[in-house]
Amino acid sequence: MAKGRHWVALWLVAFLVTTWLVYARQTAAIRAARELADLRARRANLDGHRADLERRIRAAESRAVLVPRAQARLGLHLPSDSEIVLVPAPSGSH
Amino acid sequence: MARSAVRIQVVEFGVLVGLALLVGRAAQVQILQGRRWAEEAQAQRTERIVLQARRGTLSDRHGTPLAVTQETYHVGIAPNELRDPVADGSLISRRLGLTAHAWQEALRRRYAYFAGPYSALEVQPLRTVRGVHLESVLNRFYPDPAVARATIGRLGDDGLAASGLERTLDSLLAGRAGAAVVLKDRAGREYESPARVIAPPVPGLDVVLTLDAELQEIAQRALDDALRRMDADGGDVVMLDPGTGEVLALASRQRDGSARPSAFTDTFEPGSLAKIFAAAALLALRRVSPTDHVSGEGGKWRVPGRTITDDDPQPSLTLADAIRVSSNIAIAKFAARLTPEEQYVTLRDFGFGALTGIEFPAEATGRLRPPSEWTRPSAASLAMGYELSVTPIQVAMAYGALANDGLLLQPTLIREVRDASGGVRYRHRPEPVRRVVARDVAAALRNLLRGVVERGTGTEAALTNFPVAAKTGTARRVVNGRYAAGEYTASFAALFPADQPQLVLVVKIDNPHKGSYFAAQTAAPVTRSMLEQALAARTVALDRARLSTAAPRAAAAPADDDGGLVPYVVPWPYERDSSGVGRGPRRAVPDVAGFGMREAVRTLHRRGFRVALRGWGVAEHTWPAAGDSAAAGSMVTLFADPYAAARVRSRGPTPPRRGPR
Repeated sequence: MAKGRHWVALWLVAFLVTTWLVYARQTAAIRAARELADLRARRANLDGHRADLERRIRAAESRAVLVPRAQARLGLHLPSDSEIVLVPAPSGSH
Repeated sequence: MARSAVRIQVVEFGVLVGLALLVGRAAQVQILQGRRWAEEAQAQRTERIVLQARRGTLSDRHGTPLAVTQETYHVGIAPNELRDPVADGSLISRRLGLTAHAWQEALRRRYAYFAGPYSALEVQPLRTVRGVHLESVLNRFYPDPAVARATIGRLGDDGLAASGLERTLDSLLAGRAGAAVVLKDRAGREYESPARVIAPPVPGLDVVLTLDAELQEIAQRALDDALRRMDADGGDVVMLDPGTGEVLALASRQRDGSARPSAFTDTFEPGSLAKIFAAAALLALRRVSPTDHVSGEGGKWRVPGRTITDDDPQPSLTLADAIRVSSNIAIAKFAARLTPEEQYVTLRDFGFGALTGIEFPAEATGRLRPPSEWTRPSAASLAMGYELSVTPIQVAMAYGALANDGLLLQPTLIREVRDASGGVRYRHRPEPVRRVVARDVAAALRNLLRGVVERGTGTEAALTNFPVAAKTGTARRVVNGRYAAGEYTASFAALFPADQPQLVLVVKIDNPHKGSYFAAQTAAPVTRSMLEQALAARTVALDRARLSTAAPRAAAAPADDDGGLVPYVVPWPYERDSSGVGRGPRRAVPDVAGFGMREAVRTLHRRGFRVALRGWGVAEHTWPAAGDSAAAGSMVTLFADPYAAARVRSRGPTPPRRGPR
């Protein structure tokens, strides 16, 4: 009888260990998947942020914004061609 | 004892029966119904989803993104899952821009769905709110929606390419969707698992367009200003690189503010813009000499079927005068020396009456009738640019042929196609269509056009420091099949600079109401303004080395490949090539094969040569060839090829070559 109870206990322990392993593995997988989803969300958020900044930089750099401001605030004007002298870059410059 | 033994046996029997039932049920569930239960469990824990492929990016020639794909979100709200409906509701309403009424409506539903799409920034604070379900979806985004809108096109509401280059390039941009199985937790949230991707999505290819965003903005603003100032019905601007056929800017605008791609689709009679093509036929077929004169007829000349008039009557005109002052009478008289077939073939060769082949989903062929359909005044009319309808892109390409030494190229909007890892899958190379006129004829025609700007009808486009070659065109407009009284199309085609042109500009103004309707006073100043802005811009695709008003400067320190020569210093003020060539001391052209473009140009500059570039990539050979002697200050043409490095490595030292390939 004692031998039989040992077997039952052994099987019970084996069952519990196996169940615990399955549970732990599933939990770890869900946690990893959650972290992956969080990382993806963060990346999407950063991508969105970058796109928003790029759009704002482009808008700020556009001629439609810059030219009137340069004229009004700094008194600049678009140069006529006689005011433009193109000088080749000296050798050695990058 | 006996009783208890019986009881034990009964209990054991009961346990055995129970176990047997358990095992039997387990066998039923696991073996007989196993597949069904497994599928049900799988459906509860997982879901098969389509992984959208990221659509390729469209960018301008400098890499400025014009159309990008970004992750956006649809938002679902389960009101019964919200922990704090008041506080959560306030946050959700604020982030999604909902009114109080809309939010109350949403709360009444079992599941409220807001399609948006909302950006990642907008939904970021909602990610941790219980009851908010985000569904990510890739969406097309145009950083500057106004830039080249008609050319780039758009996706439809169904996400499919609807117009413009988005449509033409859809097979390249779209990519291929993938599939995956996602895990779901108790709340129904989905988690992607890298191990459960069935087929990964293949992102679309990125396409680098030939457009230059800055030139495009210059063109659009100049056109908008012009249309507003002249109270015109609409207009188009086309800018292209005549050496490659690459379209640099395309602006189209109608009075109502719409921007349909009329540069490709709307035809007009070019009027005097077409006179240069009659001159091309006359010069190519040697039917006229520079000294030939025709009478100006006092500004009025009757031919069978019509009376031809000039606004600026001249007593006597050469062909150069006819182009310079845009004389209808003179060009009609000169064109009479051509047969109808010769006139027709020349116009056809310049690309009129045929598609240019540009990568755009819609393009008009225009109209050029064969001689068999001509009437008596057709020859004179065609010489003056009537009885012929063209698109602005056709005019630009035809003038591009004049700029490109008589070689007509196929226009393109695509510079490069790259895969997701940045590898180049396709790179545009100039595609010649045909040689229209000989090199010397093209040069002579450019000279005629130069006269237009220096002393003729195009003086309003003249620049102080840079020579421009151009032609004005003012033509009556056809409305409902008849010439409408007082309605004109003013157009202007320019080559900049006149020597070795880098830019072809075509400006068309439809029916200007305020001020003059002549192209000389309408389209020509717009061209000048755009050229000045392009010259002052930082990133515009102009080769400033070739445009330089200053000469290449000598190296600060002698380079080891200078061969002990004193660097040649070009005197200031610099004289143009035509007068400067041959005056300097002669010296050997250095071997720059295998050098990067920048290094090759510097090496040639250090030797005191001026440099004209042909192609790009790695320097392959020069003309004059390496080792030949040439006058310091003279032009050396540098031929480059992206694959030259491998060839140069494989063949060892470059043997001297005789002339360009």
